Amino acid sequence: MDPSYYLVFIFALWGIGLYCLVTKRNMIRLIFGMEILINAANLSFISLATGLEGFVDPLAHSIVVVSIGLSGAVSAVAITLVVYAYRHYGTLDVRELKRLRG
Amino acid sequence: MFTLPLDLLLIFTLSTPIVGWATSRYRKGTLSGAYAAAGLAVVGAALYSLYFDVSQAAVFSVPIFGAYTAFLRVDMLGVVMASIFVGVGFAAAIYSIGYMEKETDVPLYFTLLLAMIGGMVGVVFAGDLFTLCVFWELMCISSYVLVAFSREGGESVEAAFKYLIMSGAGSATVLLGISLLYGMSGTLNFQGLAQAFGQAPASPWLLLASLFILAGFGVKAAIVPLHTWLPDAHSAAPSPISAMLSGVVIEVGVFALCRTCFSAFIPVESQWLYLLMALSVATMFVGNLLPLVQSDLKRLLAYSSIGHVGYMLVGLSIGTQLALTGTFLHIFNHALMKGVAFLCAGAIIYRLGTRQMDEMAGIARRMPVTAVAFSVSLLALLGLPPLNGFISELTIVTAAFQSGLAWLGILVIVNSVLSSAFYLRVIGVMLQPAKSDRVKSVREVPLTMLLPIVAMVSMIVIFGLWPDPVMRLMQESAAGVLSVVSQVMG
Repeated sequence: MDPSYYLVFIFALWGIGLYCLVTKRNMIRLIFGMEILINAANLSFISLATGLEGFVDPLAHSIVVVSIGLSGAVSAVAITLVVYAYRHYGTLDVRELKRLRG
Repeated sequence: MFTLPLDLLLIFTLSTPIVGWATSRYRKGTLSGAYAAAGLAVVGAALYSLYFDVSQAAVFSVPIFGAYTAFLRVDMLGVVMASIFVGVGFAAAIYSIGYMEKETDVPLYFTLLLAMIGGMVGVVFAGDLFTLCVFWELMCISSYVLVAFSREGGESVEAAFKYLIMSGAGSATVLLGISLLYGMSGTLNFQGLAQAFGQAPASPWLLLASLFILAGFGVKAAIVPLHTWLPDAHSAAPSPISAMLSGVVIEVGVFALCRTCFSAFIPVESQWLYLLMALSVATMFVGNLLPLVQSDLKRLLAYSSIGHVGYMLVGLSIGTQLALTGTFLHIFNHALMKGVAFLCAGAIIYRLGTRQMDEMAGIARRMPVTAVAFSVSLLALLGLPPLNGFISELTIVTAAFQSGLAWLGILVIVNSVLSSAFYLRVIGVMLQPAKSDRVKSVREVPLTMLLPIVAMVSMIVIFGLWPDPVMRLMQESAAGVLSVVSQVMG
């Protein structure tokens, strides 16, 4: 199977995720952007697992299962932080949280 | 399951909250902290026995048989790095018993600290890229929560969120790069990757994968265009965690770059190392110029970590055995120096309650032991001769001159001189006469906080005067890393 169409889609997805991280202000949307990036990587593993004819490598699938679990844990921590930030500032806009200077 | 030290770390991680839950409310923090520190001491002993195995067999693989061999592959570099992480973690754990006394949920804090150390040890023991990624996430997730641990202000939550988004995007990028490597070779084992790509010509796909992995690990190692999370996260975290983050966590990024560069990316190594060289120069200058304008003590130290990552990258980008020895030696020395610097800064903040440097004038008269230790660590960071920072910087500069990259060596020296401006300013502020009444009323910190500081400062002096044993270990580690390349190239 030729994975090149899938690869085009994967890089498009990666670009969308990065665009989301760069332009969005809402904290929840930033988490979504990060999730899109992780999903691009997962999809890449799945589509590249069919290197040999008629054989799907189980290694890539087990990797993706673990990776989905990890991304769930990261999102849980991120959403917890969003809840704390909202309680403290009453807003989810990252540009209004200007207590920090870089 | 995962070699004795890592198993013990995971067991102690899981049992620390049980200890906290079972003990009385009053002594909860102290007991769980003592339990965590004892656990780290046991792990240190287990690492010492693993060191003998490794020094006899050079490489120690787990599982030794089976269909999917060597998902852990322990070599000399792994054992040395793991000892650094456990050592700094031990000092931070003892220090935290005093420092975190007034906080709530302290057992949870020690659990996360142990989980972070477990993740780092797993990263350096990993034998394939996916095992590395899983332990990497364990380290990252616990460090996000630890940065946000002190909940008195919104600052730490904000810093943790910024850190999480940047580091999470970095991890995803690494995963994409790894999937490309997997698609090209069908394996993720470091040995297998080296054999699959070693003789092959440099393909654009391999270059693309290497750029993804460089960007991803570069976020964690705070290479310059990707460093913006570091000053916020490292200054907002509790001080012992800042010592861990600056002292060892960012070095894990440098380690991961080193591992992948000398296994998977052998064909594109020369392009990669040139890119790394350019980035290292930018990293050094940003890390040594921006602290000049800081008035926040912890933020100044955090920026100076970026400068030191720059020195390590210089060694990595030269890529000879001497240069790698210098890089690994600097990782060891930086862990000691920056560990002491952040612990001392934490001690001053613990007593004084402010991070602003102007308000710290005259602290040396009230807290003499802390001030002397702080000054010694700052002078070592500066690279003053009888201390350990000088030895590793000298090794890196010598390697640069030997490889015909004299300009790079000169830039390291220029940066070292530049950095003296802000390190000496901190010492100067501490020695000024006391202005405020608040400074006049402080006293020295409790013994549990002073003990790790004094122990680590004496190690700075000892390894500055007598660097031979560490130097020999680092030479063996560098030879082990480069032996993978020479095996493949025949």
